[in-house]
Amino acid sequence: MRTKITFVLGLPLLALALAIPLFVTDSYILHSMAMVLFFAYMASSWNFVCGYVGQLSLGHSAFAGVAGYVTVLLFTQLGVTPWLGMLAGGASAALLSVPVGYATFRLKGPYFTLTTIAFAEILRIWLENTDDFLGIPLKGAQGLTVPPVGGSNFLAFQFDGKVPYYYIILAMLVGVMAATAVMERSRLGFYLKAIRGDRDGAEALGVDPTRYSLTALAISAFLTGLGGAYYAQLFRYINPERNMGIDLSIDMAIMTIVGGQGTILGPTLGALLLHPIGEMVRATIGGSFLGLHLILYGIMLMLAVIYFPKGIIVPLQRLLDGRKGKRAVTRGAVKADALEGKGQ
Amino acid sequence: MDLLTLSFAVINGLLIGGIYGGVALGLSLIFGVMRVINFAHGSFLMLAMYCSYLLWATLGLHPYVSILATVPFLFVVGYFVQGVVISPLFKRERALVVEPTSALLLTAGVYLVVDNIVLMAFGPDVRSVAVDITYESIFVAGLPINLARLVGFLAAIVVAAALSFWLKHSEMGRAIRATAQNRDAASLSGINVQRVYNVTFGLGCAVLGLFGALLVPFFSITPNIGLSFGIKSFLVVVLGGIGSIPGSILGGLLLGVFESVASQFVTATSAAIFSFGLFIAILLLRPAGLMGRA
Repeated sequence: MRTKITFVLGLPLLALALAIPLFVTDSYILHSMAMVLFFAYMASSWNFVCGYVGQLSLGHSAFAGVAGYVTVLLFTQLGVTPWLGMLAGGASAALLSVPVGYATFRLKGPYFTLTTIAFAEILRIWLENTDDFLGIPLKGAQGLTVPPVGGSNFLAFQFDGKVPYYYIILAMLVGVMAATAVMERSRLGFYLKAIRGDRDGAEALGVDPTRYSLTALAISAFLTGLGGAYYAQLFRYINPERNMGIDLSIDMAIMTIVGGQGTILGPTLGALLLHPIGEMVRATIGGSFLGLHLILYGIMLMLAVIYFPKGIIVPLQRLLDGRKGKRAVTRGAVKADALEGKGQ
Repeated sequence: MDLLTLSFAVINGLLIGGIYGGVALGLSLIFGVMRVINFAHGSFLMLAMYCSYLLWATLGLHPYVSILATVPFLFVVGYFVQGVVISPLFKRERALVVEPTSALLLTAGVYLVVDNIVLMAFGPDVRSVAVDITYESIFVAGLPINLARLVGFLAAIVVAAALSFWLKHSEMGRAIRATAQNRDAASLSGINVQRVYNVTFGLGCAVLGLFGALLVPFFSITPNIGLSFGIKSFLVVVLGGIGSIPGSILGGLLLGVFESVASQFVTATSAAIFSFGLFIAILLLRPAGLMGRA
């Protein structure tokens, strides 16, 4: 069922996304579009573990921040190209995620969530108060800037217009969705769903919940890290507050939950719905009303939790099934209900 | 470090710790009765602090007088947040047990809305209330004790005792305890569970109305201080045992002393790292909390 909506809705969206830079030349709009794709990417990376294991992490921004710092520092200090730096950053994030995940995945529900916040906050507060660590200039709360090399330079990950940045994040988004699709069909995907459905039951059947949750978390942290490195490169600036603050984690979680967690397309739908709203509010009246877009995010989150606990992808799926006649609707609804019942 | 500095740190830690305990009372009560972790707990405290600040800045009311307004206001806010926002979740669940993550998400939505409404209304500036009591201290055995903190500490003890007494002996208190023990049986005995939930949530917030007003004389406020108080409250509740009122005060005292002594060795901002570290350590050693049942 899920595959269908992924293609029916996903392919036209992809075609549209590929074509947009051909018509849009305004660099502000292109930048905003790249940001939509960025949040879709981050939400999808978050979804990779949280959506499938059914645990709510609000510490993912730590992975983005660590990878961003690694990338920027490798470039500014050692001259390593950000392309390699991104991979190194992603690997550092994955490495960090293993002890964190080992400690936290034994916890349930709110305990897990609050512990992930605690981990991320420790890291952020430490960074904000550390100007120099073992000779590495971290510059605390002030953050790091990436000096411009001048003009477009592929190796330096710096481009004149916004178009290259746009296509890079689009390719990354397609990549994370493909990875999610492969994971869904793999042994790992089935194990994760089993763990989400009934952790003890899965364990009794020989699925090691810690091991598989950790595998998914490490991949998710790696992907989140790539996104965090991209974020730092796009702005050529990184600081602890914006690049690893709790707001970034909350954004990822909200977009995934509103869109539909545990689905391939859901996080992207959530980002497509929420980020433009936030951006428009900020661009029009946001100057005088700081934080208005977050109020809207909060309201959307509450509405989604109450009315669409499985995300807006569920009514879209029903709409799609509706065209195939009544029987499909009933079957779809029953299936959706069954999913809802045992989902958590 | 000499003994004098240390004893001063411990006394200060006990005072602020008592207040932490008082702030956490509502979280503990709400979780104990409804099994809902209120992510917006700290935001409600922040809201109370801004109410008190507003009354001081516009009408010149002393923060201690503004309690008369902040407590009922926060009760009403809590009552309606539960009645309007959270209760649909309870009604939806067939098994009548709220799946904890949904409730957490829902209250995370409340957190975003409340924090940002206040940010919109007051801006990100740091604000503080200057009243005489801020600078007054009494001396006990040669050690200065800040009067405003002492008042907060004593209030926490009194509120905890009064709440325990009320839960034991009043009609509503009995209904609340019955609902906490077994919601279905309470409902069968003629208790209006929805109303009990509304009152519990309102009460949990009303306590924050009190402590918000007691905190402003010596605590600068910004719109985003809620979250750290929320997390600290959760830590206090985990330390002292979920749903236990004396446990909440005890947990607060532990955290307060720990933080205060830790900040003698490192800067105050880095001391927050130690509270988070303590939080993680406790959850790792006892995943369901110090007193919790796994």
